[in-house]
Amino acid sequence: MNKRRNQLSLAIVAFLLGGLIVVQLRSQEAGNGLDQLTPTELTVLVGNLNTRNDQLRAEIATTQAELSALQASDARGDTSVGQLQSDLAKVRAWTGLDPVNGPGVRITVTGGIDAPSVQALVNELRNAGAEAIAVNDLRVEPNSVVNGPAGGLLIGSTALGDPFQVSAIGNPETLTGSLTRAGGIVAQLAATAPSAQLIVTPIDMLLLPATTEDLVPAHGRPQL
Amino acid sequence: MTTAQPPISGPISARSRLGRIPSWQITLGIALFVLGLVVVAQFQSDGPRAQYASDERGPLVQTAITLQSQQDALKAQILDLRTQITDLETKGQGSVATATDLGQRLQDARLAAGLIGLQGPGVVIQLRDSDQTVPPGDNPNDYLVSADDVRTVVEQLWLSGAEGVAVNGERITTGTAILDIGGTVLVNSAYLAPPYQISAIGPPDLLDRLTAAVGFRTFAENRAQAFGIQVDYAEPADVSLPAYAGTITLRYAQPDPSVAPGGGASSPAP
Repeated sequence: MNKRRNQLSLAIVAFLLGGLIVVQLRSQEAGNGLDQLTPTELTVLVGNLNTRNDQLRAEIATTQAELSALQASDARGDTSVGQLQSDLAKVRAWTGLDPVNGPGVRITVTGGIDAPSVQALVNELRNAGAEAIAVNDLRVEPNSVVNGPAGGLLIGSTALGDPFQVSAIGNPETLTGSLTRAGGIVAQLAATAPSAQLIVTPIDMLLLPATTEDLVPAHGRPQL
Repeated sequence: MTTAQPPISGPISARSRLGRIPSWQITLGIALFVLGLVVVAQFQSDGPRAQYASDERGPLVQTAITLQSQQDALKAQILDLRTQITDLETKGQGSVATATDLGQRLQDARLAAGLIGLQGPGVVIQLRDSDQTVPPGDNPNDYLVSADDVRTVVEQLWLSGAEGVAVNGERITTGTAILDIGGTVLVNSAYLAPPYQISAIGPPDLLDRLTAAVGFRTFAENRAQAFGIQVDYAEPADVSLPAYAGTITLRYAQPDPSVAPGGGASSPAP
């Protein structure tokens, strides 16, 4: 009798323990840092995720159409050279391996500005949906980093000079709005780099050059 | 008669007393101890969550988690479609020289773009929030890893010769923005939770080049030494970077008609 009671209490304790461990693990998992965000920040995050998911759905539709066209030409026994060419043109334009044209904005930067500020400007253009960016006549790639001291800025081994221009293709209104909004990057730079002057001009037709690098990895190999 | 026992009584009697305690009591004791630990841990970690459960943040957090998992599924779908396209494009093209050449150039372009996963020598830099207590009057955000921190490390890796970079599984491409939302970081509009692991493939001496770079050393001094941001390095035998799973559709930029499709103009346009 006594032994049975002992076993019962042991079972209850083990049950509670198991339950608590599960609760503890679950709550650690759910944490993810989201609980530190304010409602405003969460709203921005949700907006960002929504926009991105819409873009991904559109990309899926395009890619699905591309696949169907390929499958059709494959079924007909075609070599699909035309499809390959259009794919190649699309990827090369997106990557910066080919020149592109289109509407966008040009930012003329005059005066003392440091490298991180220029990088912040490029980051903001990407965030605002710029599809292609160039600094002076050099196409910006992921590995194009502006560095060097203020007054002696370089991109790669090319000096930027003063003034220099940052051009971006995208929706001119969205790009201009996002750069010049209250608290946006232009306002921030006016506070942190007061000696620099940034003039944002919407442009109907920009022509951005191709990168001069081939960008094909030399050390990494494709995961196939 | 007590004389026979004393010389050997100490250890043996202690052991036999322990032996007399039923094993279930020992198990119960250990279980109660662990239970205590878990209860304390649970109460301590309950603080901040209990706050949002009762206000407007609860539904927002749930929405963000749902959207992020939808995003993961959408990205997987894109990668799957792209794999099917690549398979079809490379299949049965061997007999046509033009198609073979185009297929190879397409593969190179996709590699350059980050649309194909990459594997090779490299480094992983991990950034973790400070575990220092924030002194009164200091901004607590200074003690968290920021988008600026992640961006600085990514840029320094490029400058040190990296040829591919990813942050927590998000490949850095030509269109990647790295942003702050509160004390957390968005890369390619994907919400990333700390710690941030920045993986890069490059020359075998990539880590030496990085740690010798003035820009990286300044970052480490400003952030690690001043605020306790934790910077760790690893050089795994093989680093692997995922393919970029986002959109590559251009809406405003068009290939310039002065260049033949896929032509790769070598002279920059004016």
